[in-house]
Amino acid sequence: MTAASGRAGALMEIVDLHVGIDGTSILKGIDLTILPGEVHAIMGRNGSGKTTAANVIMGHPDYEVEKGDVLLNGDSLLDEDPWERARQGVFLSFQYPQAVPGLQVGNFLRKSVASIRGEEAAKGADFRKELNEAMDQLKIPRSFLSRYVNDGFSGGEKKRFEILQMMLLKPKLAILDETDSGLDIDGIKTVASGVNAAVRGTDSGALIITHYSRILEHVKPDFIHVLIGGKIVASGGPELATQLEENGYDWVENVAAEEVA
Amino acid sequence: MQTAADYLSLPQPDRADHLWRYTPWRRVHPTGDVTEVPDISSGSVSITKLDGSPVPKGVSLERVDLDLGDLPDSDPVTLSFLGAVTATSGWKVKIDSKFNLGTPLLLDIDTGEGNSAVHLNLQIGELSEFELITRVRGRGDWFGLLRTGEVGSGSIVNDIVVGLMQQGTMLRVDSLDIGRDAQVRAGTVSSGSDRTKTDLRYLLKEPGGSVRVLGSVLGAGSMHLDHHVEILHDAPETFSRLSWHSACGGDSRTVGTGMLKVMDGSKGADAAQIFHNLLLSKDAEADSIPELEVLEHEVVGCGHGTANGPLDENQLFYLQARGLDPSEARRVLIAAFLNSTLSEMGSENLHDWLVVLLSSELERLGSGIDN
Repeated sequence: MTAASGRAGALMEIVDLHVGIDGTSILKGIDLTILPGEVHAIMGRNGSGKTTAANVIMGHPDYEVEKGDVLLNGDSLLDEDPWERARQGVFLSFQYPQAVPGLQVGNFLRKSVASIRGEEAAKGADFRKELNEAMDQLKIPRSFLSRYVNDGFSGGEKKRFEILQMMLLKPKLAILDETDSGLDIDGIKTVASGVNAAVRGTDSGALIITHYSRILEHVKPDFIHVLIGGKIVASGGPELATQLEENGYDWVENVAAEEVA
Repeated sequence: MQTAADYLSLPQPDRADHLWRYTPWRRVHPTGDVTEVPDISSGSVSITKLDGSPVPKGVSLERVDLDLGDLPDSDPVTLSFLGAVTATSGWKVKIDSKFNLGTPLLLDIDTGEGNSAVHLNLQIGELSEFELITRVRGRGDWFGLLRTGEVGSGSIVNDIVVGLMQQGTMLRVDSLDIGRDAQVRAGTVSSGSDRTKTDLRYLLKEPGGSVRVLGSVLGAGSMHLDHHVEILHDAPETFSRLSWHSACGGDSRTVGTGMLKVMDGSKGADAAQIFHNLLLSKDAEADSIPELEVLEHEVVGCGHGTANGPLDENQLFYLQARGLDPSEARRVLIAAFLNSTLSEMGSENLHDWLVVLLSSELERLGSGIDN
């Protein structure tokens, strides 16, 4: 098993990243490189640091980067605020998207698209056409636009709405934090089609964070990384997901320990 | 007709009174000398449809001398004071029975400069269905608005008052009787003036009457915005909800006090009130006191509550992760908070109009909200 790090022409590089929160170390030295057009997946148990990694890349203020760097197209993101990272092309599909009562979905989408892609992209017939096509692909009804952001949404609706945002914002790097959790198989297929449409055949990249291999059957990742105890203990191709499914995380821990020995 | 002598014969309000706890009468009085009744001019009043076109048949606005007669249910001091200063500035708004209009009516009041006052008497016939926006604008030093009247049986009315003076003090007293099976949404949008004191009373005196009282209040700079709402259930099967959202920044202060009374015999009454306050700066202050008096045992429910807090950091992060800079994210969350009640006030047409108005007010107040 080899770590996919330090490759030339990287879209995103995570270099020896150490992160803590409230004095507790969570990430203990992560290296990861994503090239344009690649889909990577991080798998791991609860508490292994997967969501921390996603939040740190997006710039969540609660986390302290103790050491290392996160680069997008060769430039460090660490001094950038979350909104600046978003405008540079980083997108996080949240594990638990925030409800914002009083803010209508349609209004929110226009503001987001205007912020990231410019005012012109959020106006007129072209935007409406783009919006309608994305909603159709994700099987989201038009009535959704007049609802309040994530307010009273089912789990599946929240995840589809995150993917709708991803499709409209056209990020360079999409991070999907357990977007498959709580979705039935049809929902996973729908979400996967949105991810494939946003990344495949483009210069964008994606980092899928998940417990399960189900979504990876529909979004074939180029690399899979296993995060345990704040470290990537194994990296490999799509076959790694199958091996994990069959043998569990204990197996990969044992293999990693043998390699170290 | 109320006279200055009637007002002056009354004892002055006690600060122990729920209504006057946070804003003493002398701070609301036009001169601060509560022993005088100064000369007050009349604000100008006009009515059109929201698109500016003339009102249709069935709506009339005429200037009249209004006699309060037996005082309606309200505070006697403010009522008699406003009755005295509006003795020659009364306007009757008459809506015919079975009047129906899809476009909101806009009743515009320009305070002019200096001190002015208006008494609006709403006479809404039975089985009518429409929306009325009363908009108060101007650069007056002091403005008094007295709104009295009745909503006829079976009518469905969205009655919205927008107080957006650019300075000065606004005193508003409403006393509205709601008829049998009538449904009223009573919305208040309040900002702008340095000081606002409102006392809103809704009387459900006929079976089946319903009122939803909604407030969207935005305090900035050193504004002091004090709203008191009383809803009286005095008939069976009556329904009320009070939902009041106040956002305050700068070193402003917002006050929301509510009194829900359910009288003996009001079987099946269903009432609730909730105040939400959003604190936008360390010096802003918000007070809410919801109170209940329930004298009837067989009610569907009577509840009250209040919640205070700052902007949610997780919501801010979510919006910033979607490219909104911190300032815009704050504005969007403030607007969303106020929109939660604004969107309940009426039709989509009315709501769109209110959203534009709120956005421009947020823009105008700018840094006064943050600091």
